[in-house]
Amino acid sequence: MKGLRKVLTPFAPDQSGASSVLYGLGGLIVIIDAGGCTGNICGFDEPRWQDERSAVFSAGLRDMDAILGRDKLLVSKIADACKKIDASFVALIGTPVPATIATDYKALKRMLEKEISLPILTVATDGMRLYDEGEAMAYKALADGFISKDGSLGKITLGKTPLTYGAGFEDQTLEDYRNIGPSTKITAASASGIEAAEKIGLPYEIFSSAAADAAEKIPSGKVLVCHDEVFGKTLRDKGIDCDIATFFTLHDEIKREGDKKITEEDEFTDLAVNGGYDVIIADECLKPLAEGFRGQWIDAPFFALSGRR
Amino acid sequence: MAGKAVQYTAAQIRDLGKENIPKELSGGHGLVYSSPATLAYNSPGAEGFGVKRAGLAVPESVMLIVAPGCCGRNTSIVSSMPQYKDRFFYLMMDETDLVTGRHLKRIPEAVCEVVSFLEGQKGKKPRVVMICITCVDALLGTDMERVCSACEKALGDGTRVRPSYMYALTREGRRPPMVHVRQTLYSLLEPMEKDPGSVNIIGNFAPLEDGELFKILTDAGVKHIRQISTCGTYDEFLKMASANFNIVTNPEVRAAAHDMSQRLGIPYIELTRIHDVARTSAQYKAFANAVGIDIDVSVEEAKAQEAVDSLKASFPDLTFNIGECLNADPFELALSLARYGFKVDEIYGTLAPEKFKYVSRLAELSPDTKIFCNMEPTMLYYDVSASRAHISLGKDAAFYCPGIPNIAWNSDIQPFGFQGITKLMETVHQTMKEARA
Repeated sequence: MKGLRKVLTPFAPDQSGASSVLYGLGGLIVIIDAGGCTGNICGFDEPRWQDERSAVFSAGLRDMDAILGRDKLLVSKIADACKKIDASFVALIGTPVPATIATDYKALKRMLEKEISLPILTVATDGMRLYDEGEAMAYKALADGFISKDGSLGKITLGKTPLTYGAGFEDQTLEDYRNIGPSTKITAASASGIEAAEKIGLPYEIFSSAAADAAEKIPSGKVLVCHDEVFGKTLRDKGIDCDIATFFTLHDEIKREGDKKITEEDEFTDLAVNGGYDVIIADECLKPLAEGFRGQWIDAPFFALSGRR
Repeated sequence: MAGKAVQYTAAQIRDLGKENIPKELSGGHGLVYSSPATLAYNSPGAEGFGVKRAGLAVPESVMLIVAPGCCGRNTSIVSSMPQYKDRFFYLMMDETDLVTGRHLKRIPEAVCEVVSFLEGQKGKKPRVVMICITCVDALLGTDMERVCSACEKALGDGTRVRPSYMYALTREGRRPPMVHVRQTLYSLLEPMEKDPGSVNIIGNFAPLEDGELFKILTDAGVKHIRQISTCGTYDEFLKMASANFNIVTNPEVRAAAHDMSQRLGIPYIELTRIHDVARTSAQYKAFANAVGIDIDVSVEEAKAQEAVDSLKASFPDLTFNIGECLNADPFELALSLARYGFKVDEIYGTLAPEKFKYVSRLAELSPDTKIFCNMEPTMLYYDVSASRAHISLGKDAAFYCPGIPNIAWNSDIQPFGFQGITKLMETVHQTMKEARA
C-alpha cells in the first residue's frame, strides 16, 4: 500500500535537512512548531547539538496560536529573543503546523524586518518532504541572502552534512559562504550539494569522500548501490559499474539506464530480490526488506535512512 | 541582557508572590530553548514514556502512526528496543493528504494490511491497534473516533482500534497528550464483577519498584496488585476492571481514574512521590485511614532516615544542582534536601504556580538557591562555572553541569515512598564516595 511503512522508520525530513545546513552558522534558528519537530531535530537528527550549544529554538506554538494565526505573537517572541541572543541572522524553518495553516512566510519576513535589524531567512519546509529537499531549500535561502560570487575562498564542500555523512560531516561558516568566488573549488558532496552549486552558478565537481573510501572494498559483479546519488556516481567514477537506487533526489545528469528513484519499501524489495544483483551497497536498515537476496551485502551507513551513527 | 541566563533566587520569587512568578521561569511566553528537558518533553517519542511508548503499554497492541514523516522520525530509537519490535507502523502523509484529508479514507485499509502482515508473516495477531495522529490532524479537526470505528468494522474480528493523540500543540491545554493517552488506554476496560482483593496501581507505564507500597497492600489482604506494565496479556489487562480501588501515583492519570470511577465504579486515591521522610510517613497514615487498614512501615521509615543521616554524616556540606528531567518534582526534592540540611545551589525547572508553595518554603531555608527555566532562550548562555554544586540530579542537570558527578534518576522503573528516598540517598552517597575516591 502506498505510503505504508511496515519495516522502515521514517527518513530524515526536510526540516532536519534545513537545520543541518544552517546549524552552527551563528544564526538564531526558529523551528515554527509546537516543540515536537525541534525535539526530532536537536534530539535526533542533529549530532552537533550534543557537543556545542546553538541557538535553535522552538516557536512554542499552541493550538490557539495556530487556529487564530497569531503571527504577531510569533514576531514578538522572535524579536524578544533577538534582544537577548547574539545572532548574525534569523532563520525560520517550517514544519507541518505552518503548512497546515498556510503560513505566509513572505509576510512573516516583512513583519520581522520591521522589528529587528538582522537578515531574515525563511525555509518553507513542511515535514512531509525528505531531508535533501530541505537542505537544498536552506542553501537556496543562503544563496539569496548571503552567498557571493566574487570572493576569494579557496574551496568549499556543499551538502556534506551529518544526515548524509554521519560523523564525517564538514562544517562551514557564514564567512565561507560570503567569500565564494570564481576561483573557489566547489564540491557537491550530495544531492543537495548539487542543488546548491547549481544555484550559485559557478563550476563544481561532484564527489563523495565516503564513496571513494568504500570503492576499494567492492567485489566484482552486478552491483546495486542504495544511498545518496552522489555516493553512487562517485563509485562509478572510481570504476565500479553499479546501478543507483535512491529514496532521495536523482538528478537527470547522474541518472542512467538501470537507476531508479524509489519511494516504497516494496520497490526496494523488488530491486534487491529480483534485480539479479551480486552485491548490494546500502545501510543495513534495509536488509530486512531483502530477505530473498543471496548476494553480498556491504554496509554503507546512511544516517538519514537509519538514524544510525 | 545578552550573554547571561535569566535567573531568580528563591527569596526573590517568594517576595514576588504566587501571582507574579516571572514569565521567564514559567515558560510558554517566548521561544523555547532546546535543552534536554524541553526536547524530551516536547517530543513525546524521543525517550521515556511519551505518547508513542505509552500508547503501546497495553499488552498485544501495535501502533499505526498516521502523520507526516517528521513526526515518526525519532521512533527508530524506540523501535530498536526488543519489546517494540514489529509494533510500530507508519502511514506517511503527503501534501495532498494535508489539503484534501484523503489519508483518513486510507486508514482502514492500512490497519487491515498491518493486521494481515502480522498474522501472516509474524504469526501473531494484535488485540489492539492504536492509531497515533499528530498536530496536523489536530488542526484539521479529524474525528478519530469515527475513523477508529471504520477500522474496527473493516477488520470485523473484534480487534479494538483506538486513537492516540500526539498533539504537542495542546501541551498546556486541559487534556494534554499524556493525560489523554492514559484515558485512551483505560477506556479499553469493560465493566466486570468486582474482586475485593484486587487493586490497581495506575499512573506510570513501567512498574513501580517492588517496595513498601506492595507490602502494605499485601498485609491488608490484597491478593492481586495490577499495573498495566505487569499485565502479560491483553486478557490479564482487562482484569484491571475488577479492581476494588485504584491507587493513582501520577497526576496525569487523574482524568483516567475519574473516567474509571464513573464508568467502571472503581474509586481512586492519590499518593504523591515525595522525598521528605516525615511527610511520606504522614501520607501513608492518611492512606491507611482512607482505605480502613492498619499499616506498619516503621522499618522502611527508619531505613530511609538512616540513609539520609548517613549521607549527611559523610558529606555534611553536600551541595546539589537539580534538573527537572528526573523522577521527582525538582522543587519538592530541593525543599526536602534543604530540610535535611543539604545545600541546593541551582534548580532548572519550569515554575508553574502550583510549585510556588515549595519555593516559598525553600526560601526560608535556602534563600539564595538560584532558579532557572529550561525553556528560557537565555539558557543558551548558562555558565556552570558560577555554581558551587558538588553533584547534579537529573539528565538536564548533567547537560548544564558537565564537570561534576550526575545521577540521572530517570529510570523507567521508579522507586516510591521510603524506598525511593532510601535508594536516592544511597545512590548519591555511593556516587560521591566514588567521585572523592
